[in-house]
Amino acid sequence: MALLAGPVPSGYNFPVPHVLPNLRVKVLLFARVRELTGIAEESVDLPAGATLSDLFEHYQKHFPALADLRSSLVASRNQELVSWDTPLSAGDDVAFLPPVSGG
Amino acid sequence: MHMTTTADNDWCELLRTPIDANAAVGHVRADRVGALVTFDGVVRNESRGRRTLYLEYQAYESMAVAKMREICAQIHHTYAIHRVAMLHRLGHLEIGETSVFIAVSAPHRATAFDACRFAIDTLKRTVPIWKKEFFEDGAVWADGELPPAPPAPKAAS
Repeated sequence: MALLAGPVPSGYNFPVPHVLPNLRVKVLLFARVRELTGIAEESVDLPAGATLSDLFEHYQKHFPALADLRSSLVASRNQELVSWDTPLSAGDDVAFLPPVSGG
Repeated sequence: MHMTTTADNDWCELLRTPIDANAAVGHVRADRVGALVTFDGVVRNESRGRRTLYLEYQAYESMAVAKMREICAQIHHTYAIHRVAMLHRLGHLEIGETSVFIAVSAPHRATAFDACRFAIDTLKRTVPIWKKEFFEDGAVWADGELPPAPPAPKAAS
């Protein structure tokens, strides 16, 4: 708000306030994670620099029972398995995958 | 070692309708093929002593197809084969229905057997597909296998 105080600068060259951009990712949930959350797919806004762990914590806050599943899940980013400390980029497709049981 | 073929002509698909095994076999036939090995995965009527009523399969579809194609590429790299067809059902499946069908063709039988075995074993371990088992007194997501761990993060240098 302080930025708006005082005379409004005129012309093209007034400074743009520095705000960390949010990043929006698409989250896909499957099997028991989908059932536990009731969410199959949604977009989530995260602060810049957020990792897959941060995103999982966001869900764990809303669905505490997810904590029990955490050790059995692997994380994927854009369809590749990655470690939990991987930073996310805008537009990423993210998923938390339970142990697979196809066949 | 052997003339490497590519996975470009392989057939990988997730289906919500019954798998056409004949079409899969036809897809891998060729004049240079001397052996054709298939694996037919069938829905069984029991799981650890509990009577199964039916199954439901779910997949991370885009990733599952990508992983199936990766398996095919690995097979072509490792074995002297001709072609692969790898089909998996999704949704509701009754007892006795085919949930997964794999056909591998090769000039010689040993490679066809080995490659088909590798294909189903790797699919079960790495492709993001999940099955839910429905019993008379409830339903559970089948205990699956953890996909291989991702590469360790690079050490700070």
